[in-house]
Amino acid sequence: MIVFVIAVILRIYRQFTLPVHLRWELYPVKHEAGKKAAYGGSYMEESNWWERKRKRSWINELRYMIPEILFLRGVWEENRRLWWVSFPFHFGLYMLMGTFLLLLLGAILMRFGIPVSPGKGGINSLIYYLTIIVGVIGMISGSVGTAGLLSRRLTAPELKHYSSFADYFNLVFLFSFCGSALLTWLFHDLSFDGARAHVYGLLTFGGLPRGYILDRSFLGGLTIVLTSLVVAYIPMTHMSHMFMKYFIYHFVRWEDEPNLRGSGLEASILQNLGFRPTWAASHIGADGKKTWGEIASSKPKELK
Amino acid sequence: MNKHISPSGISKPAKRLSQIEPGDLPPLPPPYEDFNNRTLSELKEEKIANIEASLDDTVAIGIPKPKNNEEEEKYLQAFLSGLQKLFEKENNWTFLQPLLLSMEHCAKCQTCSEACPVFEMSGRQEIYRPAFRSEVLRRIYRKYIKPYGKITSKFSGDIDLNWTTISRLAELAYRCTLCRRCASVCPIGVDNALIAHEVRKLFSQEMGIAPRELHEKGTVQHLKIGSTTGMNPMAAKDSIDFIREEMEEITGTKVEVPWDKEGAEILLLHNAGEVLSWPENVGAFAIVFQAAGISWTLSSEELGYDVVNYGLWYDDVQLAKVAVRHAEIAKKLKVKKIIIGECGHAHKALIVIADRVLTGDLNIPRESALVLLDEIVRGGKLKLDPSKNDFPVTLHDPCNIVRAMGIVEPQRRILRKIAPKFREMTPHGVDNYCCGGGSGFAIMSNYNFAEWRTLISSRKKFLQILEAFRDEPLEVPKYVCAPCSNCKGSIRDVLEYYHARERSHIYYGGLVELIVNAMTDIKKAMIKFD
Repeated sequence: MIVFVIAVILRIYRQFTLPVHLRWELYPVKHEAGKKAAYGGSYMEESNWWERKRKRSWINELRYMIPEILFLRGVWEENRRLWWVSFPFHFGLYMLMGTFLLLLLGAILMRFGIPVSPGKGGINSLIYYLTIIVGVIGMISGSVGTAGLLSRRLTAPELKHYSSFADYFNLVFLFSFCGSALLTWLFHDLSFDGARAHVYGLLTFGGLPRGYILDRSFLGGLTIVLTSLVVAYIPMTHMSHMFMKYFIYHFVRWEDEPNLRGSGLEASILQNLGFRPTWAASHIGADGKKTWGEIASSKPKELK
Repeated sequence: MNKHISPSGISKPAKRLSQIEPGDLPPLPPPYEDFNNRTLSELKEEKIANIEASLDDTVAIGIPKPKNNEEEEKYLQAFLSGLQKLFEKENNWTFLQPLLLSMEHCAKCQTCSEACPVFEMSGRQEIYRPAFRSEVLRRIYRKYIKPYGKITSKFSGDIDLNWTTISRLAELAYRCTLCRRCASVCPIGVDNALIAHEVRKLFSQEMGIAPRELHEKGTVQHLKIGSTTGMNPMAAKDSIDFIREEMEEITGTKVEVPWDKEGAEILLLHNAGEVLSWPENVGAFAIVFQAAGISWTLSSEELGYDVVNYGLWYDDVQLAKVAVRHAEIAKKLKVKKIIIGECGHAHKALIVIADRVLTGDLNIPRESALVLLDEIVRGGKLKLDPSKNDFPVTLHDPCNIVRAMGIVEPQRRILRKIAPKFREMTPHGVDNYCCGGGSGFAIMSNYNFAEWRTLISSRKKFLQILEAFRDEPLEVPKYVCAPCSNCKGSIRDVLEYYHARERSHIYYGGLVELIVNAMTDIKKAMIKFD
């Protein structure tokens, strides 16, 4: 978990420290207000747009992002065949993340002496049943999805010829994780009590819930190791798109902020224009001393 | 020919890595079936003996082959040096963040392929998949630039770096029109067109390698002489004066074309290609602006009469130099805003991309002519009779104006008002297909490249045009409205190649010409179907 957190922070930190880039938005930009978000219009459709107040719609953005994140709408619309395996995979991972949160919640309750167990009503029994439902769906969905993706990658030529050892490894690794968790549940931990006790142990630095009898199993141990490795591994691979997609959309695809005189954005641009490039082609006229701003304002020296 | 070439296959020697065979290309409907077995004309051996021509059936750049091992090594080192610079903020602050995000997060799901008109219309040639060239660059980057790359590449995808690899990659960067349809369908948001753009930049900015039409005849000539057409200021003024006289014949009244009018509200910047190839477009703007009582001017300064900016397609530094000159001209004339004529890439270059190059008093407001025309038409300043445009009209959406800028509705509002037989293409708006001439292809014609464009990259647009007019009798004249010079160029070429004017009576032109054609008080028709 610590590796995961550090890797995520480093990745995100880097995005905030990169210089402001030239605009490269792609329409539809979903924070546009009204119908513009639907048909792909922009504020540049308005005459003298720089004199008007820009309208942004969080609702439009959410209306797009929620089905996109939860149901992979883009894949459904553009690559239906892939969706049938990609959706169970992603949905499985979401459910497993949800399971972890439910286990954590359960462990917190237990820390305060509230047992998480079957019963009638009460948040503790709700968490008990929800953990089982969400967890089982997650494990099955994740196993089916990873197996499906692996099979597609092995058989479809357009995927196979682009796949490296790492691509196959990622899927086998995730399949092992989902499969191992599923088998552990099936043979050792139908109630998720063992998993909850493990999370309780993490929360209390090694403590055991009151009344819980430790029942170590190979599968349980394997699942714990694989879970830790998967969590640490994901942010170091292209699978980090899980959270980096936010930056792809908000820092590039929908990044339509105009540069207005005297703005903070203009100050960042001026800073960039002060960089000293070293591009070697003669027409550039870069010598490592002249700035971007000076080069852009220079007159051409040569006609090749 | 092996259709399934893996990205590492790019480094393997072969006379041609990929070749189109008769019958590979998607069929055209009647009356164009006789073109269905066409392939590209064979490249003449004597013309390609000393240049890189081993990628496919065409050549866009024509990079001279290295004469010896030493020269090859020099090329490779320069390539790696340029690649390194793409990932440095001092050299590539302009696109570093978008590039990193696209390099690091591709899931190689190939959703992008189905959206790419070049891939589809080539008969699905593997090398034209949007992800192919990106994966080549990604593998080179990981192996030769990232730490421990030689080891990690065994797991993340290997590739050999040699002259064949880099020269083919350079050519391959010019088999993508940068239309960005692939990016718009990517579930993650990865932009393969951006990667193609960055590869072009690497070759130009570090190695001085770019198609002649874009560089020597393009930005260099533009900055030196004033226009990529080779027109100097005097020639531009003479040509437009001639156009003005032609317009007076059409309107039956005096047409004023103001030059270098200090303090005018608007500086109108045209693509100079319009002056030479579609003078009626330039004239129509003068007629509409005069009728609407707009305070405007043209500039006769070098670059001031040619708004193109080819740097957009291959070189950020050239882009910045041209954009700064355009802004300096507007500043000198003390205009309130710059209006970009019907030129798609110039819209994006000067309004959107240069937005983060121009600062202080160079940051003069810039707007699309389509928006201004919409305002004029809606404002009722012109007397319009839509029945004068009583012929089928369809609209081509230039990628740079629509998908890259979100200017979708103004042109449609105009057409709904002045063209009673207007119909959309399928798909349209932000989902449109490129004309096939995007990213400089419309002006590139060395070797057999124009033929490649017409047969492959423009094929989808041609099919869309035919589909839009499917229910119309062949003999009825039809009009493809393309409010962009380069799009008009490639549509002109594709219509000519397939004899579409003779066979289906399909004509093409801009938007402002349709407006003038609908004006009640002009004497002669602006649009003529010969």
